[in-house]
Amino acid sequence: MIVPAHGRHIISAVFQEKRYKMNNAVAKSKDVTLLEILDRVLDKGVVIAGDMVISVADVDLIYLGLKVLLSSVETMEKLRGSPFISPMQEAK
Amino acid sequence: MAKQQLVYLYCVADREPELKETEGLADNLYFVCNNGFYAVAGKVEEEEFGQEGLKRNMADFEWVKAKASVHERIIELVMADTDVIPFKFGTLFNTNDSLKAMLDQYGEEFKAILRKLAHKQEWGLKIYCNPEKLKTSFSNDEAEILKIENEIKFSSVGKSYFLKKKKDELIEKTLNERINECGQESFELLKELSFEAHINRLLPREVTEREDEMVLNSAFLVDRDEVGDFHNMVDTLKMHYEGKGFLIDCTGPWPPYNFCGLSREKV
Repeated sequence: MIVPAHGRHIISAVFQEKRYKMNNAVAKSKDVTLLEILDRVLDKGVVIAGDMVISVADVDLIYLGLKVLLSSVETMEKLRGSPFISPMQEAK
Repeated sequence: MAKQQLVYLYCVADREPELKETEGLADNLYFVCNNGFYAVAGKVEEEEFGQEGLKRNMADFEWVKAKASVHERIIELVMADTDVIPFKFGTLFNTNDSLKAMLDQYGEEFKAILRKLAHKQEWGLKIYCNPEKLKTSFSNDEAEILKIENEIKFSSVGKSYFLKKKKDELIEKTLNERINECGQESFELLKELSFEAHINRLLPREVTEREDEMVLNSAFLVDRDEVGDFHNMVDTLKMHYEGKGFLIDCTGPWPPYNFCGLSREKV
């Protein structure tokens, strides 16, 4: 396995500690929060555009419903300093 | 007058889906087959899901909660037998014919997406941080912080005031460094074990309803053969970071919501 240099100290930490036995039951825990569902169902998934689609839900409405504005996300990121940038970061 | 109905699309699969178990979740669930694809859909009332109704209902949190959960459950059940392309909540068509036309129009894209998704699962990883706990975890072993603390003990009132300020700044700086380190390392290490990975926007506390702040929201498309290694790595990260003010929350397998964007840039 190739490990990025900055991650190596984690790997070495594993060998220092007792080798952890994986629990084979990796099935999804039953109490997956509503948050996890909403975060995907409302925000992700295929979106198609075209005449045949009469409407596509606007995800921001739910956040507005919760009295949360997008700006609060930005504020939070400012508060905790510059967020780390990854090449995989989604272009918004 | 008969109520107007619309066609609500849940997902597209390339094999005939088993819809028995979905009974009771939604009325009138069926699939439409065209161009080699099976679209799992349901009839919904125009009054509820039409332009006006949807706009009104999306402001009703209880409604959204119930309908989004049904959306998720139906796709999960279909996913048990076949690879699926999950659609976003509220994808509606006027008729089955317009849905069929869409399957024709996007045939090539869907084929490409299903090829990519074959034998893979989506897993989600969210990391939360309790800043106070994290501060406590490093304040006793950061040499620079300890040095300033020591200096404060032997300083005049005036000097110690500035030293305390300096110490607070140093703690804040270290805090941010540790948060970025945890998020970046976790993401990069799991990315190595994944076919594709994405970082999503952080959700504020008002949405997560947790005391701790979300510091990473990410999704991974993992080959089924690598899922074991992926989980070993998650456990490793938990061992390393939990107890130091971080909470690592891994969930899945999910329908691959994050990995079938039609317009998303290929990474």
